[in-house]
Amino acid sequence: MTAAPARILETQALTARYGHVQALSAADIHVCAGELVAVLGPNGAGKSTLLRAILGLASTTGTASFHGEPLPRQDPVAVSSRGVVLVPEGRGIFGPMTVSENLQLGAYRLRGDKAEYGRRLARVLALFPRLGERLSQTAGSMSGGEQQMLAIGRALMSDPKILLLDEPSLGLAPRVIAEIMEKLALLRDEGLPILLVEQKAPAALKLAQRAYVLVLGRIVACLDPRDLSSHDDLAKYYFH
Amino acid sequence: MSDFTYFAQVLVSGLGTGCIYGLIGIGFCVIYNASGIVNFAQGAFVMLGGMITQVALTRLGLPLPIAAIIAILLVAISGTVLERVVVRPLWDRNATMFVMILATLAAQIVVERATLLAVGDQPRTLPVFTDLPPLKFGGVAVSLQLIWILVTSCLIVAGLAVFFQKTKTGKAMRACAIDREAAALQGIPVKRMLALSFALSAGLGALAGVLITPTQYTAFNVGVPFAISGFIAAIVGGFGKPSGAFLGGLLLGVVQAAAIAGFGSGLKNVAALSMLLIFLFLRPGGIVGASK
Repeated sequence: MTAAPARILETQALTARYGHVQALSAADIHVCAGELVAVLGPNGAGKSTLLRAILGLASTTGTASFHGEPLPRQDPVAVSSRGVVLVPEGRGIFGPMTVSENLQLGAYRLRGDKAEYGRRLARVLALFPRLGERLSQTAGSMSGGEQQMLAIGRALMSDPKILLLDEPSLGLAPRVIAEIMEKLALLRDEGLPILLVEQKAPAALKLAQRAYVLVLGRIVACLDPRDLSSHDDLAKYYFH
Repeated sequence: MSDFTYFAQVLVSGLGTGCIYGLIGIGFCVIYNASGIVNFAQGAFVMLGGMITQVALTRLGLPLPIAAIIAILLVAISGTVLERVVVRPLWDRNATMFVMILATLAAQIVVERATLLAVGDQPRTLPVFTDLPPLKFGGVAVSLQLIWILVTSCLIVAGLAVFFQKTKTGKAMRACAIDREAAALQGIPVKRMLALSFALSAGLGALAGVLITPTQYTAFNVGVPFAISGFIAAIVGGFGKPSGAFLGGLLLGVVQAAAIAGFGSGLKNVAALSMLLIFLFLRPGGIVGASK
């Protein structure tokens, strides 16, 4: 008998509000070691709110824990120092700064260890060679796909223990989405746990070991993508 | 004195005052960039810089350089106190810009009145840094204090450029200015950057006060006029852009000096506000900002 894989990120009855509006209702999700978990749902379902609630950026009740320890609330710096790193919707890159400066700031908590910085940078540039060609370019002047690569690369510079991604495909061409998803698959295969929030379900389901379906702020299903024979199987949850 | 010499003398005089306005304007930008706050207590830092130096010099008998360094350090610390006591509690509650402006104006008044109670209402001055006759360039006299102001200001502006472009902390402060939440998500201590921006800004204000006091005077109530001039410099230069604020300060200083020379000191503020209005109408982004 094999032991169940350890849950490294877990939420219990996580609820989030914006004023009087309840955007997330009692969400229970978990991510195990080495797992890529997708959160799917239509626009406005509360997917981004789920990530913000995990990071303590929204007004919440319930718990979000990492390796069994509750994550701090309203303190994204402390959450980041635990290795829980978000690539936000819209990428959140520092547009007027260069690619190199963005990557450097991703490793902000690394104090003076040039060897470790070099190792992380080499890893990021091996994953996204295009960033290496644009190190001195202003980040805001790059294409959307390159900016997304930079956002993921910058997150990797902090050597995350788990990566949270909010709609990395947003506004990108299909070819670029495929390229980004391919890189996420590589990270998954390296054993980096990933929680991927995505509206484009087919792309996410190709990568994920499990997928939660979020509709109107509620988790309505937890699926094994291999059990889905067609997209209609997913659609029935959306219109549940 | 020929017209050209007279014009050059006015220009030199305006550049000296303009450097001071520029330093104060940079102080506005540093805090605004790190926090989105317009700090109207900036003038209090200028006043305190000159006043503490004067007190340390006359009452404690310290040498001028030591007195000036102590004053700048004390004012920088008072900047972090202001940030911690007045600004951060409001910032944590997502107070509006209007509330922040009122709160920092209130802080300015408190500092002003406390200074009045502590040292009285008599204007005070400092000795010039180098007590030698002015240098002559053609018919234009340039005082050594003016050279101190010009050289120190240029060094500070260059130093700040290096700090913001080359150092990790400077880059982190720029990142906070661009996207505070994204910066926090990278583990950048945003609140520490806010405190640092107040310390830096207060130190700059104090330095401006130390530099200008030998050529003018300081008193408990000089802060507000300096704050207004620094704010105009920052707007004219392009709000949030330190290099622009310095250029804006130089332009403001020259315009004011020309107005005083041409029409008397009564129109000095009219000239400053007219220039502000012209920029707001024609180039609201300022000298180095977007044209629209």
